[in-house]
Amino acid sequence: MELANTLRQDGESRGGVLAHLERLETQVSKSRKKLEEPQNTQALEARIHELKCLRDKLRAEVKQRQARVKASTANVEPDQTLEISEQEILERKQENMKAILQAYHFTGISGKLTSRGVCVCISTAFEGNLLDSYFVDLVMEKPLWIHHHSVPVFIPLEEISAKYLQTNTQHFLFVLCEYLNAYSGRKYQADRLQSDFAAFLVGPLQRNSLCNLLSFTYKVKPEGQSFPFCARLLYKDLTTTLPTDVTVTSQGTEALPRMWEEQRAAHENLFFTKPLHQVFTSFAKKGEKLDMSLVS
Amino acid sequence: MDETLAEFFRRTILKIPMTEMMTILKTWNFLSENQLQTVNFRQRKESIVQDLVLLCEENRARLNDAAHLDIIYTQFHRHQKIWDVFQMSKRPGDNIDLFDMEEFKSSFKKILQRALKNVTVSFRDAEENSVWIRIAWGTQYKKPNQYKPAYVVYYSQTPYAFTSSSQLKSNLPLLGQALTVASKHHQIVKMDLRSRYLDSLKAIVFKQYNQSFETHNSTTSLQERSFGLDINMDSRIIHENKVEKERVQRVTQEIFGDYPQPRLEFAQYKLETKFKSDLNRGILAEREEPLRCLVKFSSPHLLEALKSLAPAGIADAPLSPLLTCIPNKGRNYFKIRDK
Repeated sequence: MELANTLRQDGESRGGVLAHLERLETQVSKSRKKLEEPQNTQALEARIHELKCLRDKLRAEVKQRQARVKASTANVEPDQTLEISEQEILERKQENMKAILQAYHFTGISGKLTSRGVCVCISTAFEGNLLDSYFVDLVMEKPLWIHHHSVPVFIPLEEISAKYLQTNTQHFLFVLCEYLNAYSGRKYQADRLQSDFAAFLVGPLQRNSLCNLLSFTYKVKPEGQSFPFCARLLYKDLTTTLPTDVTVTSQGTEALPRMWEEQRAAHENLFFTKPLHQVFTSFAKKGEKLDMSLVS
Repeated sequence: MDETLAEFFRRTILKIPMTEMMTILKTWNFLSENQLQTVNFRQRKESIVQDLVLLCEENRARLNDAAHLDIIYTQFHRHQKIWDVFQMSKRPGDNIDLFDMEEFKSSFKKILQRALKNVTVSFRDAEENSVWIRIAWGTQYKKPNQYKPAYVVYYSQTPYAFTSSSQLKSNLPLLGQALTVASKHHQIVKMDLRSRYLDSLKAIVFKQYNQSFETHNSTTSLQERSFGLDINMDSRIIHENKVEKERVQRVTQEIFGDYPQPRLEFAQYKLETKFKSDLNRGILAEREEPLRCLVKFSSPHLLEALKSLAPAGIADAPLSPLLTCIPNKGRNYFKIRDK
């Protein structure tokens, strides 16, 4: 404000407002520089000294700590190695236990405790082949009930549980196991026939959900002249993997020549006694003439 | 080939979207590869269809072949129909079911043909030992209407059959009888379950919708899951009602499980109950007759929507058992009366 007044007192403002502002600016910067210079160097020197001291202090502290750590690790080492090995032992035991629990799977019936009961796993197998697993999640209450399961809808689970679940749970599981293993076995045989011996079949294999009725036309030799037979296998007992009724017929209505009639009867017997895919394996092996010695 | 049959072929093929044309024709397997190659698929659709109908004529296609194509189209577009579920029962002590598919088909067809002179019955075997049946209904004097067929899907040796709601409801008892007798059951009853999603209906009645089981082989630990709370949240943010949120998540998980819910579009509740009011007075209160009203919940995916209600804060957890019992009881139509 004072500077502005002196200017007005002079009367003339040289070069207008902007030029005046410029002059004010240069005046301020000059005066500022004069004030700062001596202070600057002093401040800087002081700051440098401060930082040097701090650095030395920190360096000394670091050295001390390193020395302390070395000393402590030297003392602690033997204890730590002991701890590690105990932990390792426990971990190995746990792995072992987990593996055993998983391996129970192979016994056929295994289970895992759940928050409300137990989840039972029925693993089916046929002729040493591990097949599908089915689960039943049981709730341990009075009365015992099934929360959810993966048993196929055509297995009579309601019937079996109505009979045994409350009175004899162990028996319930064994009976269910029987049904499921038998179903798996029958399904395995039908699947094998369809996939591995498709060349022997004339037309499609007719089956149903339970695989307890199989109907097909087959030849003993896949190529060449071979008499086609119609086979109809019924499995009236749902707990078995071998049929209860077997009918092998010829396609035509005329009476069969004796050789074919003998074969037909022999085949019927074979289907009764051997699993389906094994019968066809024997066809494949023997080729033309059916060895009567197979009929045990 | 007579005109009506040619027209039926034309309309059936015309229905098929161009994107699915090759797949459906190949599944049908009636026209050979070579024949299909002679058709110019870059023409206008009407011209393509005309060419295909000519090829069908060449192959001496019959009504049965057209019916097969219709079944395949419906299998690809099963959501276009609304499906009902029927439950059959056997007499206690009935013999083991030795289901013979060929016997079933011939028995089913005979029963319908004996009752109605004019009826077209076609079959197509499908996965898991099931069969799709197409029925075109006629009367004593009229030929079957090929454009309004009914469909039945039956899985062998199960007590359930799925039927597409047909407009011709008068034929329903006959259809039920044919199914029951052919499948060697004793009685048939319509369930209170209906949806467009055939696969969901199957999952519900076959109880296949919850397939997660605890085993020693599973690597996921159920307890350590964070119950939907965002782990990446800033630690300076505190959930005031964290405990309540976790409770809601836990209860929802117990009721609905971890699995994808079967798909239904609605649930309908017919109420015939007395009106209950907190206020002692009111026009509706203290009446002897029950109040009749219909409550319908609709959603593109009803069960998932119900599952998300409590976590979203819209409803209390646990939800009413009337809502949560739907897949378990296998029904989405309810009648509620006062006890």
